[in-house]
Amino acid sequence: MSPDAQQDFALAFLSILFEGAPFILMGTLISGFIDVYLPPGTMDRFLPKNKKLAVMVSGLLGAIFPVCECAVVPVIRRLVKKGLPVSCGLTYMLAAPIVNPITALSTWKAFQGQGPWLMTSSRLMLGFLLAVGVGLIVTRMRMRTVLRAKLVDDIEREGFMETGRRTPLKSSAPGKLPEGARLVAAFRSAMRDFVEVGVYFTIGVAITALFNTGIAPGADWLDGLATHAVAAPAALMMLGFILSLCSTSDAFIAATLDKFSWGAKLAFLTYGPMMDVKLIFLYLTVLRRWFIAALAVGLFVAAGGLSVLVEHWLIPM
Amino acid sequence: MLSVAVMVWGGVMLYFYTSGRIVTYLAPDFRIIALAGGLGLMVIGLFNLLMCTVPAVVPHDHKGDADAAERGDMHPLTGFLLMVVPMVLSVAWTTDEYSLAALERKGLYEAPSATSLPFMAPTLAPVTMEDLERTHRRTEDGFFEFSLMELFFASGDRQLQGVLDGLEVETEGRWVDERRNNEDGNRKRLYRLFMMCCIADSRAIPIILEFEGTPPELPENEWARVAGTMTFPLEDGVIQPVLKAERAMAADPPVEETFLRNH
Repeated sequence: MSPDAQQDFALAFLSILFEGAPFILMGTLISGFIDVYLPPGTMDRFLPKNKKLAVMVSGLLGAIFPVCECAVVPVIRRLVKKGLPVSCGLTYMLAAPIVNPITALSTWKAFQGQGPWLMTSSRLMLGFLLAVGVGLIVTRMRMRTVLRAKLVDDIEREGFMETGRRTPLKSSAPGKLPEGARLVAAFRSAMRDFVEVGVYFTIGVAITALFNTGIAPGADWLDGLATHAVAAPAALMMLGFILSLCSTSDAFIAATLDKFSWGAKLAFLTYGPMMDVKLIFLYLTVLRRWFIAALAVGLFVAAGGLSVLVEHWLIPM
Repeated sequence: MLSVAVMVWGGVMLYFYTSGRIVTYLAPDFRIIALAGGLGLMVIGLFNLLMCTVPAVVPHDHKGDADAAERGDMHPLTGFLLMVVPMVLSVAWTTDEYSLAALERKGLYEAPSATSLPFMAPTLAPVTMEDLERTHRRTEDGFFEFSLMELFFASGDRQLQGVLDGLEVETEGRWVDERRNNEDGNRKRLYRLFMMCCIADSRAIPIILEFEGTPPELPENEWARVAGTMTFPLEDGVIQPVLKAERAMAADPPVEETFLRNH
């Protein structure tokens, strides 16, 4: 790497890391305290017993518990360990970065003069539908085919049944620890989660920085696809995938991409918070590799296709 | 070991914040978040380091010892190296600015129409000469002081363009070579970066400087103040912001080197 490339990489790497690390810390602190203080199965009480209804409610939880995509992964990892159904966990994980008031506000603000209400409502609706769609598909799958083997082992050790009511089969330890030890355990758990997520985040940020600064090969071809009806959404989704922007700020980037169509921007704003380079490495802490690959391809096709259709229906030619 | 890795991250974030270098990396609203994050990481790292001998087993780890609880899914040395090495290398490599190659990728040599910023429109209010007189100071020799963003944006705003065309203005930015339509060698380019949240998402905001003769010798990619007459000629089918420069001199960098959203 040349000295120029080194300085470019370092600048982009540090800035993305400084931006994202506090949100990961917030997520891992929440996850650490959930780990120690939240009795297993608690989440069950907040969700309808009907599986499909529970998935749909999970898609709206981001409105109450707004988190960006960096923070949501460790939280979900812990909640799934605590008995939250995988389908509900995945729905919340995919929907929360989009279906939340902070993202809605930033999208509305960024698209002033470009139909802010239409873009904001379309983004929230599409994000919700895609997340719920994934959740409903996952309700039909076995936990072991979706989650990492170690996570499933942990869940089974906690004593949760795979299907039906998610009640623990045996009691868990948290209540038996003295208060001081529980606090130590919570911080220890938070730090361990932070390191585990932080390692994957570091790898993702490094790759993002390489593409962002043009050090990685093949970054320029995206620009040549801007005017193609199908390739433009695909190109922007690829861009969102590579740039790994935070969902609270990506609308400010999308609003500047004036070469691209409205539908392409919608695809960018929907796909990016659900799947990007950095998230793949975070998802690896929860999901199996094949499922991540299938999710990436499925969301790419669904987000791109639906965005083109929504543009066709809503935007006069 | 993992406590030390977490403290290294926290320490680096706190160093960049307290040294003021953070202004290059993050927009203001993210800087305070980075400070909180750095403090949080230091507290968690230090707490766990001091409490590493206290027996408190994390509930879902039933191996029965604190070491196992700290290990997680990967070897501590692996986690430590993957977290610390890229961070330390980046701190050693960074010069707090992009090279020209990276700036070119961020739009340094693109025409304004290809990198316009429509959401900035509401923040760039002055559109009449009266507004302009009221909102912009003049230099001692009578040039209106304009931000480079306003001059750049005027290329896509016919009303603002009408007011600025032919006006004597002074602005500041970083001074680089012009690579297009510069057969006579009398052109330079002045740019600043526009940052949404962090420097990785920034875009270059450039205008063209045109001198009557050879441009003065100023350090490449350093700050300069330039005064002259603003024009908006059509070049290669695109309206370009061209400042016909009368004088240019090296300048100190402003407190906020990048333009920021909401500012």
